[in-house]
Amino acid sequence: MKDAPPIIEFVEIHKDYVTEAVVVRALRGVNLTIRKGEFVAIIGQSGSGKSTMMNIIGCLDRPTRGQYILDGIDVGARSNDARAIVRNHLIGFVFQGFNLLPRTTALENVELPLVYRGVAAAERRKRALASLSAVGLGARLHHTPNQLSGGQQQRVAIARALVTQPPLLLADEPTGNLDTRTSYEVLDLLQRLNREQGITIVLVTHERDIADCAGRVVEMRDGSVRRDIVNERPTDAGRALAELPVQDEHGATS
Amino acid sequence: MIGLARVFSAIAIAMRAVLRNKLRAALTILGITIGIAAVVTMTALGDGARAKINGQITNLGSNALIVFPQSARASGARTTGGSKLSESDCQALERESTSIKAAVPFLRASAQVVYEGQNAKAEVIGSRIGYLKVRNWELQRGEPWTTSAENVSEKVAVIGAGTAKDLFGTADPVGRWIRIGRHPYRVLGVLEEKGPSPFGRSQDDVVLMPITTMRSHVRFTRPGETDAIMMSATSPETTDRAKKQAEEILRQRHRIREGDEDDFLIRSQAEFQQMQDNIYGVLSLLLVGIAAVSLVVGGIGVMNIMLVSVTERTREIGIRMAIGAREMDILVQFLVESLVLATLGGLVGTTIGYAAIVGLGAALDLPMKLAPQALAVALGTSTAIGLVFGFFPARRAARMDPVQALGRE
Repeated sequence: MKDAPPIIEFVEIHKDYVTEAVVVRALRGVNLTIRKGEFVAIIGQSGSGKSTMMNIIGCLDRPTRGQYILDGIDVGARSNDARAIVRNHLIGFVFQGFNLLPRTTALENVELPLVYRGVAAAERRKRALASLSAVGLGARLHHTPNQLSGGQQQRVAIARALVTQPPLLLADEPTGNLDTRTSYEVLDLLQRLNREQGITIVLVTHERDIADCAGRVVEMRDGSVRRDIVNERPTDAGRALAELPVQDEHGATS
Repeated sequence: MIGLARVFSAIAIAMRAVLRNKLRAALTILGITIGIAAVVTMTALGDGARAKINGQITNLGSNALIVFPQSARASGARTTGGSKLSESDCQALERESTSIKAAVPFLRASAQVVYEGQNAKAEVIGSRIGYLKVRNWELQRGEPWTTSAENVSEKVAVIGAGTAKDLFGTADPVGRWIRIGRHPYRVLGVLEEKGPSPFGRSQDDVVLMPITTMRSHVRFTRPGETDAIMMSATSPETTDRAKKQAEEILRQRHRIREGDEDDFLIRSQAEFQQMQDNIYGVLSLLLVGIAAVSLVVGGIGVMNIMLVSVTERTREIGIRMAIGAREMDILVQFLVESLVLATLGGLVGTTIGYAAIVGLGAALDLPMKLAPQALAVALGTSTAIGLVFGFFPARRAARMDPVQALGRE
């Protein structure tokens, strides 16, 4: 892992928000390198700057100062459209609120990134089906988000993130709306994707238990990296799941 | 540059968004629907009326000319008093001009006509028998009066088809006696049916009699006086020359000096046609103006709803941006949605307009039809409205900041 090429390089990244003459310094000179194949958790209280960091890593926002190199591309200064293309090709997003399109079937949600890539309909369908079965959702393809449980919705979101086969998966509080059992199911899925397919995963959370599933934990406080430690023995989410008391899979609330 | 597949999927997305809110979509397109329906109907109405008028004008004879009296300014003072036109002018015109075939006097009055308890309002016209030829009027039955009847002021009349129907129903009026005021008149003939005049007055409710008879019993004027002179040129091509000659003859007879204004006005049938065309031109311009206003209002309605739609779907826009939608993708998506709405409004409006055309055409007895140009203009206009009024909301959607749109602040 130490020898793998870097996928994320933050060089003195600053982010200031100017609101009503008050300057909020959300990031204050962050230096961070994440290599291909890593599973990194970014942890911190609200206001620590972890969400801002996530927005910049995901090319949703631009740093005020500093250099951000994603997979060898300096994306900090790129235009809106260029960053949209980078998002489409290099990044898969998984959000806390799932962020699936309402009144749109699971299959169509998963196809959407390929629509913006200009992939033909038949090919889109094929790849979306493959991606959905990879996350264990072979059925319920034509259900809309409100007909799916929270865990199922998050699986659809992960399938959507993976359908473009991006090298980087960004998960922002992916278990925030899920119960413990479903949380571990999702984490198990992320660990397996990281282990078996070598996808780099950056997971943002404020829960220590969740962060412990990652191989490296970056702790944020007041817009700076406070600690950056390698987790020698990450929690195996699959094993943690097996140790949980047995309950009905769909009885859980979400 | 976005590919064709992306445009198609943008249309599919837009269609679905429109169908999801059927009631709202219906209310949104109402303005455009009404505007387009109005344009389609008004255009057809105007064209139909014009077509019908043109038909009537050719009926009147394109070589007809009319002389009206006109109070003229002589040496600064406007002369007043009755008409300066006389029957001797008519004779002079016929005699001295080479291009005038006939010139007849014309007296007019409104009167109640009675036959055995049946009443009808009619326009009474006093003239010479040549009037029928000048106006291109034919008799459907009976015969005209003779010159000797004119000389002795005989109480005879030729009546219009409308008057005949009102007074006699299906019976034959020829040889019967009608009454105007205290005097009875013998009906000699009935005119062909002509239909309403360009300005809606019936030309069939008419009683025609010798001008001498009219002067002694219906309208008492100075001897020889006439309200107007009806003339016909020898052919449609000589109308202009006839007009010029008539001017010279009348100026000479009325002793109008060089440089003074005429005390009469000559109008040809072609000039009437021109005037009516102008009136209808102004009228249709007005109607199109009203329609344009309602279309602009409709367009603003579309813009309003699109702005609401963009705000409601902020999160959706954020999601689409996060997974790789470019500004152009979002712009096209919302632009197509407003295009679909506006075009739908245009189609519904055209359908309603077509129904109105069929209904009105039957009710007003006008030759109304849906012109292909009107159809093209209606659909083109609604598409343009969708583009113009949809652009601002679509651009607002496309320029959203993904972080804010996702509610990640």
